[in-house]
Amino acid sequence: MVSEAMVSEAETVNENEEKKLKFGLFLGCNITFNRPDVEQAMRKIFPALGVELDDLAGQSCCPTWGTMPSIDDVGWCAVAARNLCLGEEKGIDLMTACNTCYASLNEARHKMLKNPEIMNGVNEILAKIGKKYEGKAKCRHVAWVLYKDIGLEKIRESIKYTLDGLTIAVQPGCHFLWPSEVYPDKEKDPFNPVVLRELCEALGAEAPYYTKLIDCCGIGALRSTDPEKSFALAKDKLECIKEELDADLIVAGCSSCTIQFDDVQEKLRKEGKINFSIPVLHYVQLLAICMGFDPQQVAGVCVTPRDEIIKRILEGGKR
Amino acid sequence: MELAEEGVPPVINLTEVAEREKEEFEEKVSKLIIEFGAENLMACMQCGACASICPLARTGFEWYNKKLIKAILVGMREELLDDMTPWACVACNRCTEICPRNVTPFEVMLAMRRLMVEDFALPTLTIEGLRSLYEHGHAVYMTGREARKKVGLPEKPPTTDSDEKALQELKTILKNTKLAELGLIPMG
Ligand code: SF4
Ligand code: SF4
Repeated sequence: MVSEAMVSEAETVNENEEKKLKFGLFLGCNITFNRPDVEQAMRKIFPALGVELDDLAGQSCCPTWGTMPSIDDVGWCAVAARNLCLGEEKGIDLMTACNTCYASLNEARHKMLKNPEIMNGVNEILAKIGKKYEGKAKCRHVAWVLYKDIGLEKIRESIKYTLDGLTIAVQPGCHFLWPSEVYPDKEKDPFNPVVLRELCEALGAEAPYYTKLIDCCGIGALRSTDPEKSFALAKDKLECIKEELDADLIVAGCSSCTIQFDDVQEKLRKEGKINFSIPVLHYVQLLAICMGFDPQQVAGVCVTPRDEIIKRILEGGKR
Repeated sequence: MELAEEGVPPVINLTEVAEREKEEFEEKVSKLIIEFGAENLMACMQCGACASICPLARTGFEWYNKKLIKAILVGMREELLDDMTPWACVACNRCTEICPRNVTPFEVMLAMRRLMVEDFALPTLTIEGLRSLYEHGHAVYMTGREARKKVGLPEKPPTTDSDEKALQELKTILKNTKLAELGLIPMG
């Protein structure tokens, strides 16, 4: 076993704080094919905030839970390590807006740093394609980069439209929080997260606590194994958001949660199981709209309508 | 006083007992689950903390974390191999975060999947995902690119989808993993 000290020693590749911020944009599958508006939002906001993006050409699936992690640790870590190498070779960390990618890549890294047997097994495989992973590059979450590296002040200064008078229900998502041990950035209390709430407040909105704030959206394995159970879980949370906050907007830190709440509402409405409609956005999309980017490009893919809320934001201006 | 012959207790051969117990354990699901990554399985004290916050328990799946661990510890096997609960686990790791005994119940779920895979007891969608990962480098893959065009992005993302060399690299990696040994998907 490698000591914790070694884990933190290998913690960062962005050593020089003075250097311009630069990250490898890790896309994953769902953003790439299902919600490319989230990709476009990232490609707009980060350069505008002074962050350089690298495409990580040749990146693949993280790999997601139902694939290599369900086979064995070395295979899981080898696929993850190839992706991490694409950043490490350039001396940069990866950055993602998908919680599954965030978790799979960081859990894999944690396993490799903790267990030399896994790390060696991975590097034996990587040697066949001329690569080696040293454990330096990690994957950062867009919300943490915005919160910690860019900062709320700079976000406030960068926006053209504010959200005064709007109430947001935040959805940080499971893999933003747990297992906290494996993540490069951690909430003070992983069962009472505040980062996404503060990010929304920086745009002028209210983002109060509600009792099901940390509940799972129900997508992924649960939805593919038993859709009805998945929809029931999402419905519980949506009803809580309606009853406790009467929210104008649901804002997620994860592309998969965004898909789930957007899709499921439409389905539940059609079946007559709910009678409300709350638009859903990923935080990077909301920020992109507030910064003045074209809503068609940064938030153009959805089934639960967003037009009204976007109109309201744009008409409000900066107050 | 003399002891009657039949009153003498038989000599217990401790080595033999230990060996027998070891053999029994070797066959047990619990040993395999530990081998497949759930190293701290035996530390579970069945407190139920993991079950209290598990989305699977809440939505009514049969073998959620705490109950699955109990079943493994008492040596159940066939009943478990027939049930799809581990494939519904969302990998949220609430259970890992809250467990006071460092059992990492999620790793038990994952180890159960790995055990089931050896018996080919896995959902069709999982096989599809693996096949798609191998063929395209994406477990979720779509040929339609309307959404990308609509938001002003190139149809081809900068991934294995547009980079043949990178895709070949990924295939080489996958061919050298346990996935290839299992023969779950064609890997030409
Ligand atoms: S796995 Fe941990 S939390 Fe769950 S019952 Fe066992 S000891 Fe308790
Ligand atoms: S990781 Fe799986 S077993 Fe653990 S709480 Fe989440 S859904 Fe339940």
